[in-house]
Amino acid sequence: MKFIIEHLEKHFEKKEVLKDIDFTFEEGRIYGLLGRNGAGKTTLFNCINRDIKSDGGCFYLEEDGERQEVKPEDIGYVLSTPTVPEFLTGREFLKFFLDINADSVDKLKSMDEYFDLMSIAPEDRDKLMKDYSHGMKNKMQMLVNIIADPKILLLDEPLTSLDVVVAEEMKQLLRSLKGGRITIFSTHIMDLALDLCDVIVLLSRGELEVVEKSNLDSREFKDKIIAALKEEDHV
Amino acid sequence: MYKTLRLSFSLKNTYRVNSILFGIKQIPLIKKILPDALYSVRGLKIFANILSVIWEIVSMFLGKLLYFLIMICGIGILYRNVPVDQVFLHILLLLTIIGAYMNTDMFNPSRDKYYAMILLRMNAREYTLVNYGYNIQKVIIGFLPFSIIFGMLRDVPLWFCILIPFSVAGIKLAVAAYSLWDYERSGFVYNENKLKKHLWIFAAVLLALAYLLPIAGVVLPSAVSMVVMLLFIPAGLLSIRKIVSFKEYREVNQELLSQVVSQTDAVKQAARKVSDSSIATDSSITSKRRGFEYLNELFVKRHRKILWKSTLRITGVCAVLICAAVLALLMVPEVCESVNELIMTWLPYFVFIMYAINRGTGFTRALFMNCDHSLLTYSFYKQPGSILKLFRIRLREIMKVNALPAAVIGGGLCILLYVSGGTENPLNYVVLFVSILCMSLFFSIHYLTIYYLLQPYNAGTEMKSAMYQVIMSVTYLACFALMQVRMPILVFGIACIAFCVVYSIAASVLVYRFAPKTFRLRT
Repeated sequence: MKFIIEHLEKHFEKKEVLKDIDFTFEEGRIYGLLGRNGAGKTTLFNCINRDIKSDGGCFYLEEDGERQEVKPEDIGYVLSTPTVPEFLTGREFLKFFLDINADSVDKLKSMDEYFDLMSIAPEDRDKLMKDYSHGMKNKMQMLVNIIADPKILLLDEPLTSLDVVVAEEMKQLLRSLKGGRITIFSTHIMDLALDLCDVIVLLSRGELEVVEKSNLDSREFKDKIIAALKEEDHV
Repeated sequence: MYKTLRLSFSLKNTYRVNSILFGIKQIPLIKKILPDALYSVRGLKIFANILSVIWEIVSMFLGKLLYFLIMICGIGILYRNVPVDQVFLHILLLLTIIGAYMNTDMFNPSRDKYYAMILLRMNAREYTLVNYGYNIQKVIIGFLPFSIIFGMLRDVPLWFCILIPFSVAGIKLAVAAYSLWDYERSGFVYNENKLKKHLWIFAAVLLALAYLLPIAGVVLPSAVSMVVMLLFIPAGLLSIRKIVSFKEYREVNQELLSQVVSQTDAVKQAARKVSDSSIATDSSITSKRRGFEYLNELFVKRHRKILWKSTLRITGVCAVLICAAVLALLMVPEVCESVNELIMTWLPYFVFIMYAINRGTGFTRALFMNCDHSLLTYSFYKQPGSILKLFRIRLREIMKVNALPAAVIGGGLCILLYVSGGTENPLNYVVLFVSILCMSLFFSIHYLTIYYLLQPYNAGTEMKSAMYQVIMSVTYLACFALMQVRMPILVFGIACIAFCVVYSIAASVLVYRFAPKTFRLRT
């Protein structure tokens, strides 16, 4: 399976944020999306998730050489600030989600198994989510997105505000889940990107490009990324 | 000194000019024409600058004009059995005392002070003195024309009218000097926006004395009012020394303004907190249903407080009012005829009443803040089937909430109509009852439809749609206009029912066609 974006454009009034996004993402990999502040990472995600309309270009999935439209259920989108319905408990939210998606989820597990998977403590499972900590809300949001088993998983700065333990758990989880899907991960933290991602993609001047690691060591690779990001200033 | 004055002026002006430009950018239609870079367009800037200067001058006088017109003379006219000059001076003196500590300017933690002294690190003493001096001058100049005009109209001697502004400024200076002295002594920073309880009580007492005593025909003799007010002038003059020699303006302002930032955040937080606190934490609440019905039932049960409680209260009040009216009709049969006539022709009036008691806005706001705001970020929730299914469930729910008081009002009106003498055509009862129900139905559908079609909030729970606000205002105006209409029950009621049916069909069609596309978070 491939996720192909062709000539995607988006501008706000006169400012061109996405100029010509032309890229092919491949199954089973985690893509680290790096870009300067305001480079348009979130805009790109919002376009893919169809929260905003793009001004040109298209994107689609290609499976066994066959072109398919990206349906809403193909995309999981985890936002940097976790949003969960706060009037529900964790368990109720999960039940609601499973009720709705019972037909489309394979290998349905029991709710407690899912909670165990995210290491959400038993005593927290029946609390209203308005009393959840940031990290726990994030876990719930991630959980729901994982169960839906989307073909494309978009993660916008997901680990930045988590404590080290939870962040490590999440990293492990993302690694274990990357098979069979395309994970695109935007972040400002270089080390995180290098640690977790298989491919580093830069978003600069409204275009996407891969930074080849070739045979550089991590120090040299970092310098190369920084240099590429800095280039933007001189154009 | 001059530099500080110039700087603080240009700062305040920039702030105001940008606010004006921002305001212009919010107007629908005009917003489309304006470029994003409007803050750097010269012509617009000059225009906004002119507005800003005009505002500075108008604000100097307008407030004082209204103050004299309404608070002192307007209300003063009501007291007919006391001499006009005495009432004038009596109210003026007492209100001046309240204003002296509630409106100090020096202890008002305003945004421009925060920018100047904290962010831009201007010299606190110079900044405070220059601005305070300027504001006291504004008070004097702003007061002078009106104290003369209104004072003379109330038979106050001219020489005293001229001294009134100086007396007002004098007591303001004295209060400021006292507060500074109090800071030196106890370290307490006075904040006019966070008054202590005893100052509120004091203000209430003064207000009561100002407006209640004259009813009883008691006012301060002119001589007393005048002497006290004259005393404020030397007190003010003496205070100037304290204000000028005070050394710790930075410390005072640092503490006073430390709350400004948290206030700005607090406004954003407050909205969330309100919606948060509306969620019932009662752990016995559960639901046996599945899927969207499950979600809806939990939502309704956990939001009983904002959905059903007020509805039940309104219903209760309506029921009591109707019982009282029935009782009154039975005890005083003479009024029956006019009441009967009233009910037969005042049906349009009830559109406004139904508008006022319907829970549509509260319901949609809670739906967004506590539910859709988060769930709209999940793709399964945004699928057309899901959106429409939930729309149906929610429509049923809000109709139930609104129908209860409507049924009581409709039923009550029928009873009143019957008790007050009845009507020849029994169809009137049916139309009366059904049309009231239809009104409540209309508002339920209206608010939910508009919400689904325009979804006016963004992810930060800010209102982003001008169109939404326009429609809300038009709804209000239309209901308000109907209040003026008098029509027989049969005519208006049947029109009302017909409109409601047509509107429901149109709304359903629109929602089914467009909501799957429009019902998402604004960006």
